[in-house]
Amino acid sequence: MPDYSTIGKSIQRIDGIDKVLGKSQYIADIDLPGTLCLKVLRSDVAHALVKKIDVSEVERIPGVVRIFTHVDIPGINGYGIIVKDQPALTDKVRFKGDAIALVAAENEEIAKRALKLIKVDFEKLPPIYDVWTALKEDAPAIHSRGNILTVSKIKKGDAEAVLNQAEVVVSRSYTTQRVEHCYIETEGGVAYIENGILVIKVSTQNPHYDRRDVARVLGLPMNKVRVIQATTGGGFGGKLDISVQCFLGLAAIKLGRPVRMVYDRQESFVATGKRHPFFIDYTTAANKEGKLLAVKVKIVGDTGAYASYGPATLVRAAVHATGPYEVLNVDIDALCVYTNNPISGAMRGFGTPQMAFACESQMDLLAEALGISPVEMRRRNILQQGSITATGQKMNKSVGIGKTLEAAWEKALQVMPGLGDERR
Amino acid sequence: MKKRGYGIANMWYGIGNTANHNPSGAFVDILDDGTAIVLTGCADIGQGSTTVLAQIAAETLGINIEDVVVVAADTEVTPDAGATSASRQTYVSGNAVRLAAKNAREQVLAKASEELNIQAERLSIYQGQIWVGDNPSGVMIKEIITQCRSEGVLTLGHGSFDPVTTKLDSETGQGIPYATYAFATQVAEVEVDTETGIVEVKKIVAAHDVGKAINPQNVEGQIEGGCSMGIGYALLEEVVVKDGEIQGPGMSTYLIPTAMDVSEVYPIIIEEYEASGPYGAKGVGEPALVPTAAAIANAVADALGIRMYELPLTPERIIATIKRK
Repeated sequence: MPDYSTIGKSIQRIDGIDKVLGKSQYIADIDLPGTLCLKVLRSDVAHALVKKIDVSEVERIPGVVRIFTHVDIPGINGYGIIVKDQPALTDKVRFKGDAIALVAAENEEIAKRALKLIKVDFEKLPPIYDVWTALKEDAPAIHSRGNILTVSKIKKGDAEAVLNQAEVVVSRSYTTQRVEHCYIETEGGVAYIENGILVIKVSTQNPHYDRRDVARVLGLPMNKVRVIQATTGGGFGGKLDISVQCFLGLAAIKLGRPVRMVYDRQESFVATGKRHPFFIDYTTAANKEGKLLAVKVKIVGDTGAYASYGPATLVRAAVHATGPYEVLNVDIDALCVYTNNPISGAMRGFGTPQMAFACESQMDLLAEALGISPVEMRRRNILQQGSITATGQKMNKSVGIGKTLEAAWEKALQVMPGLGDERR
Repeated sequence: MKKRGYGIANMWYGIGNTANHNPSGAFVDILDDGTAIVLTGCADIGQGSTTVLAQIAAETLGINIEDVVVVAADTEVTPDAGATSASRQTYVSGNAVRLAAKNAREQVLAKASEELNIQAERLSIYQGQIWVGDNPSGVMIKEIITQCRSEGVLTLGHGSFDPVTTKLDSETGQGIPYATYAFATQVAEVEVDTETGIVEVKKIVAAHDVGKAINPQNVEGQIEGGCSMGIGYALLEEVVVKDGEIQGPGMSTYLIPTAMDVSEVYPIIIEEYEASGPYGAKGVGEPALVPTAAAIANAVADALGIRMYELPLTPERIIATIKRK
């Protein structure tokens, strides 16, 4: 038999030509006749009960078709990939940006004007803007379950005992920032009814999940909700969650007209998930030969007002906290904490870029303390065939870290003349 | 003064959802003329999954890639393939497509076996033709399909795949969170201006173990894109929140790397075969970014002889750190 005909070959991207020529139809390019424009009224307070929403002035504006609030949600007013804690339209505000009312209007200008005329009475609640306040026992609960959403633990051996006796111990605290995905295309979608089925075309990473939560929020059977992914201009985790889907579906089924909604850049920043800011306390112990003996890590992640992918981010951070190194004694705690800050969710790497920053800084600090080169320090600890990970998993399949380390180092020596040799 | 520094960072990354089921499904329909349609819920968000899945289907069916159409991510038409997330689509949906294509291929080969009077195990399909062992038979797949149709037989395949994981113990975290892992090492070279605090990333070497690279150019693209994003994470990007409010929510004040900020990237593909992956593949989407900021931070520490513990390494923070020293 000849070799593979297509596997391992750099076949030209199937969607490449249309994208390069500007022919691909993104949501903003889709123009359906008679489409209504949707806009969301978002909260400018962080934590409050919504006592009254007055739309009397707004409904008099010509071109305003309908204002929706939480009372108009036909199904269960809560969505979320892991925890269904986020209302589509809320009667309790949990961050500056929470959705309170949805305007459907004949055009964007009218919709924007309408937003300004909706009056909301709040009963303000004390806001929590940092994880340390949220963790206090007497802190007000942002959700009824309390402010600690999840605690992920990984325990193996006796890290504490080893840390007390090890020849070298390095202990540092690291902080990482909140980051926006900044995909070229912001969130957007269109919706319409076709043959009794709600059709939502949307820029998304997660069409089948979208269907699940749209059906839930709108009280529709799943087979009456058709989610079609439009050509999508990037996601990086930010388009895994519900953004415009429930708004589109609600307006389309209630009004029977095609509707459309595209976030501008500001709304994309304010309303959707960010990379989690992490607070990491990291202690590593090694012997004189540079062999890692123990790690103890505490991670606190600010997941903001709603869970989104927070629990998945923190558990992944915990599992990957040791880096690709064999460590026999491990003590890791990762807390996912609610605050009244903007939502943190999935972003490329799910907590592991944060952990790599901490773990790899620790490796260099240990190398320095021991007088071993950074590359040699890593060589002595990387996972091998047969290694056991922090969760007790035996690495018995494809373990390429030894090869990547040597290949990267060899190439670096070639292309970075200033690098010198290993002991520079 | 401008100071050079070099930093290295490793990473590992579990492919698929952590300690959870995350199955993908696919359907494959081989049509009368020997072309095929693949139905998959897998959303291509620019990373190239549609192309990769077409390659996997074409290879498995033994037809040319031009003869495969992938219909993706339409819930009324395509089976659930989970999220485009967790660097899972090549591994998980790739396996689903491979199994669906294999299922359809087996039906074709069963008929070919009858027609040629040769055991099906000895038959394969390559570039649209039935092969017997190492030799082309001269019989095209299209002829076999025609025979199937004349007997009222459709050639439809289905497949699904769920990575083998276990739950993690709630107290100890012990268990199998992922079926397989990608690995990588990146080395960064930076130049730090000690007067302005500006860091310029000069070069990044990025070696990634992705299992079999189904489409090497696509893998390199992912690596280069990931490094660019990592430069932003290390040096530029921060959503500043004050009293719960995002400050300056827009691209005029939120800086992401432009072509002026992105260094030369030297991607290296390491193919450590993964037996459970489609044709040995694992994944690369997120790993491309994961070690970049760590490598840059180590390079900046090397350049300055001072280590910083807070990302991003903005000029203001670097100057403040130098002054404190």
